[in-house]
Amino acid sequence: MNWIPRFTNWQMGALAASIVVPSLLILYFLKLRRREQVVPSTLLWRKAIQDLQVNAPFQKLRRNLLLLLQMLLLLLLVLALSRPVANYYQGAGKMTAILIDRSASMSARDSQGGRTRLQEAKRRAHELVDSMKRGSTAMVIAFDDSAETVQPFTTDTAAIRRAIDSVEATDRRSSLKMAYQLADAQLMFIPEQNRTNIDPPDIHVYSDGRVKDDDELTVQGKVTFEKIGTENAGNVGIVALNAKRNYERPTEVQVFARLANFGAEPVETFVHLTVDGEKVDLADSKSRGLYLLPERWNDEQRTKWEQENGRGHSPSVDIPMELTTSAVIRVEHTNKDKDVLAADDVAQVVVPPPKTLSVLLVTDGGNYFLEKLVMESLTLKNPASLTPEAYEGKAKGGDFNYDVVIFDRYTPETLPPAGNFVYFKALPKGLKVKAPVSDAGAFELIEDVGVLDWKRDHPILRHLAMQKLYVAEAIKLEGAAEHSEVLLDGLKCPLIVLHREGKSVHLIVAFDLLMSNWPLKVSFPIFMHNALQFLAVGSAMDVRQSLEPGATPRIPRSNALEGIKQATLTGPKGFGSRTLPVPPGGDFALPPLTHVGLYSLDPPIAQHEKMAVNLLDNNESNILPSDHAPGGLGEVREADQGRSRMELWWWVVACAALPLLMIEWWVYTRRVHL
Amino acid sequence: MTVAQTPTRPSESRTSSSLLLDPGFMARLDQLDVMSRKMLAGKMKGERRSKRRGQSVEFADYRNYVIGDDLRFIDWNVYARLEKLFLKLFLEEEDLSLYVLVDVSKSCDYGDPPKALYMKRVAAALGYIGLVNYNRVHVSAMADGIVAETGAMRGRRRVAHMIDFVSRLTPTGTSNLADACRRFALSHRQKGVCVVLSDFFDKGGYENGLRYVSGGKYDLFVVQVLSPQEIDPASTLQGDLKLRDMEDDDMAEVSVTQPLIKQYKANLNAYCLALKDYVTRRGGTYLFTSTAVPFDTLVLNYLRERGLLG
Repeated sequence: MNWIPRFTNWQMGALAASIVVPSLLILYFLKLRRREQVVPSTLLWRKAIQDLQVNAPFQKLRRNLLLLLQMLLLLLLVLALSRPVANYYQGAGKMTAILIDRSASMSARDSQGGRTRLQEAKRRAHELVDSMKRGSTAMVIAFDDSAETVQPFTTDTAAIRRAIDSVEATDRRSSLKMAYQLADAQLMFIPEQNRTNIDPPDIHVYSDGRVKDDDELTVQGKVTFEKIGTENAGNVGIVALNAKRNYERPTEVQVFARLANFGAEPVETFVHLTVDGEKVDLADSKSRGLYLLPERWNDEQRTKWEQENGRGHSPSVDIPMELTTSAVIRVEHTNKDKDVLAADDVAQVVVPPPKTLSVLLVTDGGNYFLEKLVMESLTLKNPASLTPEAYEGKAKGGDFNYDVVIFDRYTPETLPPAGNFVYFKALPKGLKVKAPVSDAGAFELIEDVGVLDWKRDHPILRHLAMQKLYVAEAIKLEGAAEHSEVLLDGLKCPLIVLHREGKSVHLIVAFDLLMSNWPLKVSFPIFMHNALQFLAVGSAMDVRQSLEPGATPRIPRSNALEGIKQATLTGPKGFGSRTLPVPPGGDFALPPLTHVGLYSLDPPIAQHEKMAVNLLDNNESNILPSDHAPGGLGEVREADQGRSRMELWWWVVACAALPLLMIEWWVYTRRVHL
Repeated sequence: MTVAQTPTRPSESRTSSSLLLDPGFMARLDQLDVMSRKMLAGKMKGERRSKRRGQSVEFADYRNYVIGDDLRFIDWNVYARLEKLFLKLFLEEEDLSLYVLVDVSKSCDYGDPPKALYMKRVAAALGYIGLVNYNRVHVSAMADGIVAETGAMRGRRRVAHMIDFVSRLTPTGTSNLADACRRFALSHRQKGVCVVLSDFFDKGGYENGLRYVSGGKYDLFVVQVLSPQEIDPASTLQGDLKLRDMEDDDMAEVSVTQPLIKQYKANLNAYCLALKDYVTRRGGTYLFTSTAVPFDTLVLNYLRERGLLG
């Protein structure tokens, strides 16, 4: 326990002392310097003083004037000691849980004095701690979309204050459910709470109320929602960001961003796009200026504004761009004027480079069309061909690094744990899609299968004419409809199925190419090209979607982690840089990425060299404080002009007791008579 | 009884006499005489009426002629009318004892001009008048008792001595009117006119002293002398003061305010009235004066009006 008191307003004390102390000293010295005067006799003077006192009106009062003043002074000091406050509320009870929201919206700087909401929450929490009576206990829980007990129940107010001060802002979303559960769990350990005659503990939630689980909350204690934040603050945030490579043209990336205005007034802003730090010139007029109407406006208000201003609400921007290399695309809106929340002003995505595929063809040979296509026609990086035996040997050895493996009429015994596979009249065992096998081990076949329909909008089959495909015999696939995506459906059975299981993607062509007319069709090579691109892009080439704040990415154990004992994770300001040990086995889990921005690993680990974390959350970007307690639990309490209560004791002392002391001293020295 | 005889030093007495009384004023004093409202018996034949029947020119009464009376005093006019012989009786002329008690306590050294000087001048004037009219003059200085006094003086030739004595008196000691008057009364049993010159600010009370000199034995004249600063202290006393009593160093802390001044004046007025009342009730004469009043005006006018001088 810290015995040294804390002077919260020492400046006022110093000012009062600088006035009162010299004044008292002056009066004291003036009192001492009473001029001596010789008179022939003090006989009549003494009688005059005595008679004056006796004959004066209100003599009793005058005689007791000093007593009266001293009594008043005493009363004022007692009043000051009792710490009168204005706007008084009961303050902390015997047992109090302090829940402080540290989510992204609490970083909005719209509180009095330029404070962020979190700073304001801490200030008011300190006030609550100041009101704690002797012997009462309190705990501190910090929450965003997780919850953490910063300080268990204690009577040590200094520890509680330190805990409050230690709460740091994150860019994560808000969820109260876990915080309430944590508070209830802490209370379970206190035997007193099991008695029925004990009042439930007080739970003070310092938040703006923007929680995502508003309708799932339950709590045992008596909740007071300490509403933080103002209703007129403005914020424009990026609430959606998507970047996708064009499957047909992998070098082209489409960036889509949507903004929303959560303030009270319409805002015009511009979107600023950079690729690896270099600004992209947006020639498209649509992306130059966006007019964002407040989300809180209804349709009528929007329509009226649009009619009056001759322009419409344009919240989104769609930007195509050529990107042949890997890059970090950063989207930022430029109008930060009166924007109180910075976390949603920027969003980023990481784009890996388009790469030429490495493809392995496993075949016994004899499939001229497929061999020629894979080995020569398609622009592939080091295409390889192996016999099934060679493949099995290679697969068991673990040295496997191909984007796609094509099995031509060969059912592999060994498959890598993850990968992309294309089968022609083959199906590995162990998948949920099965093909009945005869006693001889041969697949059951269906003969004369024509095309019933195909998925025309699927990236693999887009713009392909498949109606004239004829299959002499096809494997009867079972469970395709339930567990897979049927891309091409034959008259009698599925012919082309896309199956995802585990970490692998299996494109199953249920028939032998040589037992169909497909190799002679234009659609075949295009199909192969699309399929390879699709499989490769879907696994490694697609734009990595950003992570949400608080995500804990898991890097699966693979060749990428071989030989790496530790890695340095560097994040944006607020996260810093951390050196993490890589476990010898199992997946490598990264710590929660709590702040918005770009994270990088050193040494770079495939597919996780750079990771983008964006807020992209309507609820957090919407900084309008909730007007009701989360979940409807408890009463709402708002700050009164930045202070929930005003201490009056120092007013009593400074404006009443000190002047009264001066008057009393003056009366004493001057022998004032009424 | 202590009798302090101051040696006569002619040159000094001439100097001191000019300080207290200038020759011109003394000439005017020659016209005056000390008066007494009471018929007081004297030791010697003086220029004073006495209640006793004696030989003088002042007719007093008739009585029947008896054989042996002096025929010169028969009133023949009455005989012509009444054919009876009656003898004229005349008042005997005797000398008057004049006692002058001067307060020389420290408090009399206050004022501008000092009260002591004023009182000494009045005492000198009275003494002069008494001596030039062949009265028996005694001058006593009182403070804490009788601190100095002359013996009985008579005649003009004692004027210088008297004035010299008075001029050498210096304020000293505290006021003790009771002791002084008691000693005076014990040592001066001859009746006469007793003039007490003082400010009468005796913390023991003036009653205790004056009762010794009031009553039938003396024709008491009380002259209370105060300085203008005592009468109206507002001009000299202002602000927060520590008043020190000149005699006993008693301290009184006051904050001089208008109400206080007003109360002081009221108390002073009441004190003086009470003194006057006390003296008057006992057959004496009270006179209040301030040192602002020219001393010759006091002697030539006020004392004559009150019947002390005539």
